[in-house]
Amino acid sequence: MSADLDVYLAGIRAGDAQAFGAWLAQAEPSLRRGLRSFARQVDVEAVLQEALLRTWQVVPRFEADGKPNGLIRLAQRIAWNLSVSEVRRAKRHPTTDPELLEAGLDEAQRYEPHLPDPLLREAIAQCREKLPPQPQRALEVRLEGEGGVPDATLAERLGMRKNTFLQNIARARKLLLECLERAGVNLQTELA
Amino acid sequence: MSDADEGTLIEEVVGAFRPRDPRSLVPLPAWHDLSPVGREQAYEQSVTMRAIEAALDPNGYSATVRAVLGRIQGA
Repeated sequence: MSADLDVYLAGIRAGDAQAFGAWLAQAEPSLRRGLRSFARQVDVEAVLQEALLRTWQVVPRFEADGKPNGLIRLAQRIAWNLSVSEVRRAKRHPTTDPELLEAGLDEAQRYEPHLPDPLLREAIAQCREKLPPQPQRALEVRLEGEGGVPDATLAERLGMRKNTFLQNIARARKLLLECLERAGVNLQTELA
Repeated sequence: MSDADEGTLIEEVVGAFRPRDPRSLVPLPAWHDLSPVGREQAYEQSVTMRAIEAALDPNGYSATVRAVLGRIQGA
């Protein structure tokens, strides 16, 4: 794994979605962390997905400045500007001090490549196997949906009401985290 | 709103599905119904959920990554 994700830039510019996927997988956690200051004011997931799509759209015109991770800095700027626009569009009064918001952007610029380490992957996979049937199935269907299918539709596939489906997803995550704790893994600490 | 209702709204917002509109950014309706504290909780739990999804995916892709790639490849 490279510390400079611009190694994927040539492929992404050429329209290679796999190269973009490899970049996304490592860039997404940092980009999400950089939007933490906006969590009360914008739907961070919606902003992040839109920013990543726009990054893909503008990348053919992107010119690297010679410093590492130029594309992630571009994506951060797009996500940041989208968040500010959303706050203004909704005419919400900022609930966060502008200096703190700026500090949030600075924090986001401290980029670290991120992929789950193999031991963590193995521990999570083992804990998934231990889930009770309904939470396990709900989690499986959520993963199969790949973020492209509404929960109501996923719930229907399992013959569940949407609320029951969502409760099972919450239970799956809670049980996974408890199982990881018993295995000596604190996921929140790992992600900090 | 009861804690249970807030809990299911949070869980929906934690998911990576978002409505798609090529003209504008579309927040999930459930996000609008959440309290400010619920929105922060949804954000924090989404960080955890994306890490779990990535760990369970053969390519290390979270549901966010899958959703974005799906939109690119479906465009």
